[in-house]
Amino acid sequence: MARIDVIMPQMGESIAEGTLSKWIKKLGDEVKRDEPIFEISTDKVDAEIPAPSAGVLAEIKVQEGQTVPVQTVVAVIETEKGAAITPSTAARAPASAPPPAPPKASPAPAPAAAPAARPAPASVAAPSPSPAMRPAATAAPGGNGTETADERLRRLSTPLVRKIAAEHNVDIATIPGSGHAGRVTKKDILGYIESGAPAAVPLAPSAPAGPSWPPGAPAATNPAWEATPWEGDRVEPMSRIRQLTAEHMIFSRRTSAHVTSFYEVDFQHIANLRAAHKALYEQRGARLTYLGFIVKAVADNLRRHPVVNAAVRGTSIIYRGQINIGIAVALDWGLIVPVIKRADELSLLGIAKTMADLAERARGKKLKPDEIQNGTFTITNPGVFGSFIGVPIINQPQVAILGVGAIEKRPKVVTLDDGTDVIVPRVTAMLSMTYDHRIVDGADADRYFADVKKMLESYPEAAV
Amino acid sequence: MPEVTYLEALRQGLREELQRDERVFILGEDVGVYGGAFKVTEGFLQEFGERRVIDTPISEAAIVGAAAGAAHMGLRPVAEMQFIDFISCAYDMLTNYVATARYRAGLPTPLVVRGPSGGYVRGGPFHSQNPEAAFLHTPGLKIVCPATARDAKGLIKAAIRDDDPVLYFEHKFLYRRIKENLPEDGDLLTPIGKARVAREGTDLSIITYSATVWKSLEAAEQLEKEDGLKVEVLDLRTLLPMDDEAILATVKKTNKVMIVHEDTRTGGVAGEITARINEHAFEWLDGPVLRVTAADVPLPYAPTLEDYVLPSTADIVKVARHLAAY
Amino acid sequence: MTARAPVTAPKAAPPIPAGLTREQLVEIYYYLWLTRSLEERLTNLYRQSKVIGGLFRSLGQEGGSVGSAYALREEDFLSPLIRNLGSMLVKGAEPLAVVRQYMAKAESPTRGRELNIHFGDLDKGYIGQISHLGDMVPVMAGVALSFKLRNAKRVVLVYVGDGATSTGTFHEGINLAAVQKLPMVVIVENNGWAYSTRTAQQTAVKQLVDKAKGYGIPGERVDGNDVLAAYEATKRAVERARAGGGVTLLEFLTYRRKGHAEHDAQGYQPKDEIAEWAAKNDPIDRYEKQLDETGWVSAGERAAIRERIDRELTEIVTTSENEPFPEAESALDEVYANPPRLEPLWYRNGSNA
Repeated sequence: MARIDVIMPQMGESIAEGTLSKWIKKLGDEVKRDEPIFEISTDKVDAEIPAPSAGVLAEIKVQEGQTVPVQTVVAVIETEKGAAITPSTAARAPASAPPPAPPKASPAPAPAAAPAARPAPASVAAPSPSPAMRPAATAAPGGNGTETADERLRRLSTPLVRKIAAEHNVDIATIPGSGHAGRVTKKDILGYIESGAPAAVPLAPSAPAGPSWPPGAPAATNPAWEATPWEGDRVEPMSRIRQLTAEHMIFSRRTSAHVTSFYEVDFQHIANLRAAHKALYEQRGARLTYLGFIVKAVADNLRRHPVVNAAVRGTSIIYRGQINIGIAVALDWGLIVPVIKRADELSLLGIAKTMADLAERARGKKLKPDEIQNGTFTITNPGVFGSFIGVPIINQPQVAILGVGAIEKRPKVVTLDDGTDVIVPRVTAMLSMTYDHRIVDGADADRYFADVKKMLESYPEAAV
Repeated sequence: MPEVTYLEALRQGLREELQRDERVFILGEDVGVYGGAFKVTEGFLQEFGERRVIDTPISEAAIVGAAAGAAHMGLRPVAEMQFIDFISCAYDMLTNYVATARYRAGLPTPLVVRGPSGGYVRGGPFHSQNPEAAFLHTPGLKIVCPATARDAKGLIKAAIRDDDPVLYFEHKFLYRRIKENLPEDGDLLTPIGKARVAREGTDLSIITYSATVWKSLEAAEQLEKEDGLKVEVLDLRTLLPMDDEAILATVKKTNKVMIVHEDTRTGGVAGEITARINEHAFEWLDGPVLRVTAADVPLPYAPTLEDYVLPSTADIVKVARHLAAY
Repeated sequence: MTARAPVTAPKAAPPIPAGLTREQLVEIYYYLWLTRSLEERLTNLYRQSKVIGGLFRSLGQEGGSVGSAYALREEDFLSPLIRNLGSMLVKGAEPLAVVRQYMAKAESPTRGRELNIHFGDLDKGYIGQISHLGDMVPVMAGVALSFKLRNAKRVVLVYVGDGATSTGTFHEGINLAAVQKLPMVVIVENNGWAYSTRTAQQTAVKQLVDKAKGYGIPGERVDGNDVLAAYEATKRAVERARAGGGVTLLEFLTYRRKGHAEHDAQGYQPKDEIAEWAAKNDPIDRYEKQLDETGWVSAGERAAIRERIDRELTEIVTTSENEPFPEAESALDEVYANPPRLEPLWYRNGSNA
């Protein structure tokens, strides 16, 4: 048996309710289709309302004299004989249905209760979201410590410039701006990137506007500590790359909890391997260097110690999926860090070749922006100039950097098989690893380095 | 190729379509015996007869309504509004009847309503209007605004052949002031819905239509000579449906955009274009989208007043410089 | 010689006027009752909230619509107003289409885009109105213009109410058609009321037919509730137009027995006025009486027709009730011939309105 709702009709555009003025039929009566069953009264008209279907008036929900909103169910008709009769209930809480609008002059279309629509064909692409940049500071017109509109413009520039900055991992605030309010223009940022400057780090979301160094932001220091030129001094403006390096160093020291551990590595075994295989490598167009072995050992062991190949993001740790080893190179005009991408996937020969290629192109200023970005671990080589040991600064946003001291013959105590101690000359070097104690603990660093040292001191000849 | 004026090109286009398709006919005030208030249809009554060129009473609503009825029955009427300022008398018929006919009743309504719009002619408030904004938001209509002689011809032919109702807003200032060499043979058509790059550039884009295309080109010349700026000028040609692809392409190319039109500022077409650029090309902008428009006043008659109110080449140069330096 | 009782000849039926056949009289009867019954069904559906929007009845005016439309040839065109359902049915509009239209069904002639009888059919020769009164006059003048330009012997018929004669588009349309001598008949149905405005408040002319003079065209006043009179007058005007005589204005006198629409209680109309017209001047009653008196169509035949209509309408209503509403995204179709479909807004992406 079917139950058919009988509803309060809307008779007129602005009519929102109707009064049930009289029940023509009683509960339990049989009604014919279209037979009048009740009367209504509205602001505009009184009318008899016919039954929407034949059946039995099984339920009365609205009593005579009651006023209910349009579309309220006033009664229920059951369409088979012998239907049980429900005692009349009080009027239900009116359903808030939007009244359809009948026409007079120009009708507004009524929201129809449509059946489920077919899924639509692809619509117009959503407007591309602008690249996620740092959250905007409130642009108050200065005064109470929050950023002014001009300051914000200086820091954020325009959508296009922000997009370019994001793509190249460049911090807008470090680029000199020639546009309105000192903002960085498209020309400024493209020129900057084309000059091959290393990628700087975008400011962490919570960091306030930059360290006290870059141009444009006044430093809050004691004037006694400021450097001023004296007679006989020569003042030169810093090159862009110099500015960036300086900025990066300060930022790094202020960001990471720098701790350095020192390790002595016996390179005699590798020295022997080098002597044995040098010629072969030269035939293959590569140089077999100590640094090549070091890169290999460093890269191969990072997989097992992921926290040393990571980054800090707010209160999260990003464990990098790639192992990209940067090698710091000192060039005439400044420090540059070309990156060997996916070094763990390369053989020793592959690493040697890549290093040679990058070094050459670095000297020739032919590196692509991609090749100086996205490193995950850096190696620096202070020993190349004779330094015994170094205490390197971490290359942000990485969490560890390895410094290689001078590799040379040094006296070492070796215990012979029969138990006597002798002093022999061994090729040795001191390696230092600075790590970020925010996420890398001493034990992590030492465990990692133990593996590196082991590999270097017993490098399998077959893998050369 | 002979040189023709914008008006002559329009006339050529109309004539060619009348010759080509016997369903095409013209109706309007003074279009027959007089040849039209601006002589656009001069000679047509003689050439085509009074069944193809009909002089009507002063009844813009009936002109448009009758055009609609005739179009339903398979004819291709071209209704003239003597000055486009009078199109508002037919606003009801255009927006309530014509624009909705296909949608609500499946009634084909391939008519064209055309007329001279625009100022700079000391015509006062009722002979200088630009009505495009009033119809831009009416789904079911198409709107074209030719700026060149070539497009005056190409667009009238395309409008007549289009199966939808088309409003064709020619510019009276351009009638006799611009000339172009047009081919004598062939079927010159300008596609409806496609803009044209009037001048290529890399530093800044001006999006515009109708008479201000010429002012924009003048400004672009000056900016190149004096400032070394390479300004791109995009002539929209069709306002409805607008060529979104061309608009986005120029934004992506130069990253700095300004819009110039002769119509008043508030509610003018520039606002719509700016909204589209904002929605679809936000991260390509290296500066705000700026507008050069008429001031929001009824168009006054005296030369000093009209020149003050309507956009000038100097306005365009000034705003372009501001944007270039942003 | 035996005297024989005189033999009286059976009373002969009077000749059917206006060149109509008996079958045509039957047809007219059918259309009259179809109009009224269909509207009654629609009223019920409206009160059951199955008809969405408004319902505008032509109770008491069916004769004018049916009679006048009947005078057209198949190749002629008409444009009905809201109380000319009868004219559309004569022109071949299907009752099912009417019900679907009222119920906003996907299969309605306008695919749910327009309401009540705002629909047309170019093949059957009628063009639906829009709500702006008077606007159909210039449009139908345009249709008539197309007939003239093509030398076709076809005519248009356009209905207006007493109220619509006040509009600018009525004026411009008739004037244009008149001065161009287009083949058009304008029927002004004067039912006494434009919503709550009496005709006397609508215009200063004493008779609406007087307006014809202002356009330089002939006019005739007709008893709109005499279906055959309506037929005859319209036929004269139509044939005059067909012969190149231009526009004629016919004023049909009739009365609006229901309110402006079903939601209008018509309290401003004097009840005795309504009652008088109902009792003494109902077009169907008068036709029934005429048929009774003349014997042209028997009572039995008429009863059978009414029964048939009843059955057909029941079936039609049931069919339509069970049909779906249009698919929501079909709203984007057919705004233009080209492109035939618009893109949904990016943030809608297939969802229901």
